[in-house]
Amino acid sequence: MKNIKTEKRGEILSANDTVNTFYRDGILSACRNVRKNILRISKISGHGHIPTCFSVVEILYSIYSSIRHDPLNSQWEERDIFILSKGHAALAHYCVLAEFGYFNVKKVELFGSFMSDFGCHADHFKIPGIEASTGSLGHGIGLAVGMALALRIKKTDRSVVTLIGDGESNEGSVWEAVLVAESLKLGNLTIIYDNNMSHSRGLQIHNPVEHFSGFGCHVVEVNGHDVNSLAAEVKNQGTTVKVIVANTKKGCGCGTLINNQYEWHRRSPNDEEYVKLMKELDEEAI
Amino acid sequence: MRKQFKETVMALSEDDDKIILIFGDVSVYLFNDFKNRYPDRFYNMGICENTLISAAAGLSSQGFSPFVHTITPFITERSFEQIKLDMCYNQFGGNIVSTGASFDYAWDGASHHCYTDLSILRLLPGMEVIQPGSRKELDALIRSNYNNGKTTYFRLSDHPHCIDLPVEFGKGVVIKDKSAPLTVITAGPILENVLKACEGIDVNLLYFHTIKPIDKELIMQYRGTNILVIHDAFGLFEAVCGVPGLSVTYHGLPDEFCSWYGNVPDIRKQMRLDVESIRKIIITNS
Repeated sequence: MKNIKTEKRGEILSANDTVNTFYRDGILSACRNVRKNILRISKISGHGHIPTCFSVVEILYSIYSSIRHDPLNSQWEERDIFILSKGHAALAHYCVLAEFGYFNVKKVELFGSFMSDFGCHADHFKIPGIEASTGSLGHGIGLAVGMALALRIKKTDRSVVTLIGDGESNEGSVWEAVLVAESLKLGNLTIIYDNNMSHSRGLQIHNPVEHFSGFGCHVVEVNGHDVNSLAAEVKNQGTTVKVIVANTKKGCGCGTLINNQYEWHRRSPNDEEYVKLMKELDEEAI
Repeated sequence: MRKQFKETVMALSEDDDKIILIFGDVSVYLFNDFKNRYPDRFYNMGICENTLISAAAGLSSQGFSPFVHTITPFITERSFEQIKLDMCYNQFGGNIVSTGASFDYAWDGASHHCYTDLSILRLLPGMEVIQPGSRKELDALIRSNYNNGKTTYFRLSDHPHCIDLPVEFGKGVVIKDKSAPLTVITAGPILENVLKACEGIDVNLLYFHTIKPIDKELIMQYRGTNILVIHDAFGLFEAVCGVPGLSVTYHGLPDEFCSWYGNVPDIRKQMRLDVESIRKIIITNS
């Protein structure tokens, strides 16, 4: 895969003063900027799953660095498709889409408010770049299987990428979809598994690599906070469905969140906490 | 009726290469012709009803017209959330064609019976719910609705009636208008019993193949009469009650599981839905 619209990105970014961090300071700074936006908007709105969002920043960034897409034309007919199956990371998705120039991040500040386009779970009729409305766990991956099959029937070289959570993978529908995807040998489908240990509180999934391999998938395991490694794997597809087990840390970027992830699962920071977490974001190397 | 389903889909597919069949390991042998003629448009995805719906929604999102087909309770009750979210909420429309309701698999016991399908699916925004009573109705209603962008439910029956009636989606049929004080309303194959039961009795008889949208205008014309809904499922009664100002009584299923085995006539007799029992009910209500 190749992002053939990349050349447009400079133009887009220069048109939006909040999204030029990549060109100014590179990937690390861009991802830090995404985290700051997540934190800031969570503070403003009072909504958000901050630790979950922080675990997927590099994954989302690497996806949009790798797939074919056009922020100026989200319905571009030759685009690849990304489905956020773990839909509660919507705030991270919005902030990454903003970082890539789909819209000004200031719009996201209405996150979760009455009549806002930006709900706590995304609505594909309202947000450019969102391909399906998700939220209930274990649905997006099945949709992605159907989309990948559709693109294969059409004999296009377009691809589908979906991001699922490890907690989400408690759902039986996830494994149904994996079984079908592998049975159909959907080489144009990449499943990224956010292994952020969300599952550790409930039904545990030990060694996901073995599970997916047992289903016949082509499985690789990477550091889920390494954009370059992730992007290389997203681009590299094979003859059957590919699973990238991305090892991540819930709350990555802020030690406070990493160490207290259950407490922070669904809360927003107060003024004092906000200052502290922002400081941690500036200081921590990811 | 399954044969009619196949004949209609085969005929439509000659001119429409967007038709895709997603089967849950049911009716596969019957559709061998289709599979052989259109190998990339027929998928027996196996016994995974959640994913059948999600994958069909994914196919729909890319411009295809999917038909999902398997046994009624498993595709409607088990996959209700997939129908609700992946098809209806996302507006990735498609066709769900079930077989086995209400008691076509009488001998298999309560696990294989389904009488809630019409009632639960009619609650979903944008959903079309059809209970064809005859092969003619099935053929006409698939042709008129299969690619209208909506999610449409077709409930097949192994015991269709052979009464030749006009067919138009969303329109009820006046079978008898005796200007009587009692109006019997029914739907689907049970019409055969109801019509026989009405013989020689001064009663109005309305028939519906479309449960949603119900033909409210037609029902309104009989608002001044007592209405008796006779149906071997739930859903029609609730739809009729949506018309304001009616006096409605229901004769149909009891509040208990059907665990008597046997065949459809056995069950209908046990539930007082055989001709003789229905006739007594009508006379009592006249």
